[in-house]
Amino acid sequence: MTGRLCLLLTALLVACALSVVSAQYKARSLFIELERAQSAARQLDVDWAQLQLDQSTLGKNARIEELARRDLNMMPVTAARTQYLTVGAQ
Amino acid sequence: MTKMPPRPNLAGSRVAASKGVAFSSNPILQVKLPAWRSRFVLFVLFVAFVALIVRALWLQGVSTDFLQKQGASRYARTLELPATRGKITDRNGQVLASSVPVKAIWAIPDDVQAAPKDKLVQLAKLLEMSDAELRKKLDSDRSFVYLKRQVEQDTADKIVKLGIPGVETRKEYKRFYPEGEVMAHVVGFTNIEDAGQDGMELAAQKTLAGMTGSRRVIKDRLGRVVEDIESIREPHDGRDLTLSIDSKIQYIAFTQLKEAVEKFKAKAGGIIVVDAKTGEVLALANLPTYNPNDRSVLTGAQLRNRVVTDTFEPGSTLKPFTVALALDTHRVTPSTVFQTAPGKMTIGTATIGDSHAHGPLTVAQIIEKSSNIGTAKIALGMPPEEMWEMFTTVGFGQQPKFGFPGAVAGRVRPYKSWRPIEQATMSYGHGISVSLIQLAHAYLIFARNGDIIPLSFTKVTDSPIGQRVISADTALQMRRMLETVVAPGGTAPQAQVPGYRVGGKTGTAYKIEGGKYVRKYVASFSGIAPMSDPRLIISVMIDEPQGQHYGGPVAGPVFANVAANALRALNVPPDSSVTNIIIPKEPLEESM
Repeated sequence: MTGRLCLLLTALLVACALSVVSAQYKARSLFIELERAQSAARQLDVDWAQLQLDQSTLGKNARIEELARRDLNMMPVTAARTQYLTVGAQ
Repeated sequence: MTKMPPRPNLAGSRVAASKGVAFSSNPILQVKLPAWRSRFVLFVLFVAFVALIVRALWLQGVSTDFLQKQGASRYARTLELPATRGKITDRNGQVLASSVPVKAIWAIPDDVQAAPKDKLVQLAKLLEMSDAELRKKLDSDRSFVYLKRQVEQDTADKIVKLGIPGVETRKEYKRFYPEGEVMAHVVGFTNIEDAGQDGMELAAQKTLAGMTGSRRVIKDRLGRVVEDIESIREPHDGRDLTLSIDSKIQYIAFTQLKEAVEKFKAKAGGIIVVDAKTGEVLALANLPTYNPNDRSVLTGAQLRNRVVTDTFEPGSTLKPFTVALALDTHRVTPSTVFQTAPGKMTIGTATIGDSHAHGPLTVAQIIEKSSNIGTAKIALGMPPEEMWEMFTTVGFGQQPKFGFPGAVAGRVRPYKSWRPIEQATMSYGHGISVSLIQLAHAYLIFARNGDIIPLSFTKVTDSPIGQRVISADTALQMRRMLETVVAPGGTAPQAQVPGYRVGGKTGTAYKIEGGKYVRKYVASFSGIAPMSDPRLIISVMIDEPQGQHYGGPVAGPVFANVAANALRALNVPPDSSVTNIIIPKEPLEESM
């Protein structure tokens, strides 16, 4: 009787030990995955900042004015050439 | 217990197993050894055990900390978690300053010396320096030298690919300023360690700078992080800062100022645009300026934020405050007449004068024609204390509170020491010094129906509560007078804006060098637009213009162009149908 109980407990112990090992292994691989995702997130943040910067650099007023004047032959509006419409007026 | 079977004769049964001698009859057993020998063995064993126990105690008890540390250092690592400095954006979210990770390239000189020649040549090329320069840097006794800092990621990757032993990289941040010189004085810049040095970068250093965090981890054989072993100290990124600046208006102001400074070959210039409704600074530009992305050559003149840190004698732009005080205390009305002929007036031993003799002028005309004598006469009818109080309440001579580094207080002498001549000259802006930003701030009382609100460099969400200085009636009367200044009969017809009713006051003042007035001028203009419902205050200052030196023709057009474009950019409806501007052939010159 005691022998069987011992055997059963031993088997249980071994099973537990193995499950600890596998759980630890799983935890670590999941952790590595998490790490990877976090560093990807950081990289995306950096990319985003870079893109915002690019947007500002490309969209800065000095550049737009230069392009409009040089390539598109545009010129600034003046009040003399503007027709103002009043809401509700005939 | 079961009964043991009778012991057989051992000698007999084991005979076959051994080689003829039973254990019990082994002759060695017969040998009589001295008792001390076994005791000696026992003792030696005992001593050995004691040694083991002592060693175990030593390891476990005494040197356990050291050993555990050594163990941990073989698998645990502390990682630094970098925090990014906050971005600076304008009021519409356009990025004005942003940090991007770059690499610092450093080397262990001894290790690099062994590298093949051609690789070093490639390295020098990637670092954009000559071979000799690189060799000079490597020819060092130290075990750590920076080869180059703030190297962009792509280049750094190529350098790593070269695989030169002893060349390493370290992560750092570089701050980029896409708007460059246009925004330089407002935004400021950071040093190589990412700490604010000037402008808003310095003013908001505390909130912009992040807090680096750290974590302790276990790394596996391949260098991958497998587990955290302590709680993580989270990094806190710096907070983003939204300025009150509108980059569109800033650009307009900067280009117009630049045009004027170049046209009049002036030494310097400054402009500030303030939103009269909220007290926000919409634009602030200075010339000469610098490119914050490349600060290898910088002079003090370029760095100077004249609008905030330089004071000058404002001249006639101060007259409206004297007149407003007189109106507000009911000492005069806009139609009260003062005799300004013959264009000269002697107070004590000094004589002041107008550039033209005007004869009798009403208070309104005194502002329109910018008469010194008229203003002085109004001022002399008031106690110095009241004038001093007026100047002080609108901020002159007071340390500004808009949280910008280097802001100066200017100088208004205590009223007790004013002599009549000083009171007279101060009434038209001489013998008193203010900064351009203080001047623009003070003009809020005219633009805002008599109250004054604090200026702000950051975006304002709720409208601030004003402090009343003059009555709304006085403010309205003053605005009417300021409007006449830009009319064809005033001193600044060049400041007219097509489609909008505007007003302002010109200022022309001698500069002081070494305590004496010299024939160098500061031309300025402070204006309000549109007059029907003031939205903008624009103050312009041109330092030492050549050819022309009056505030009207020099600073007036800058005001007009900035006002016209800024009002359109802000979608302010026009309040005048006049689209043709009449500028008389010989406009009136103002008095100094």
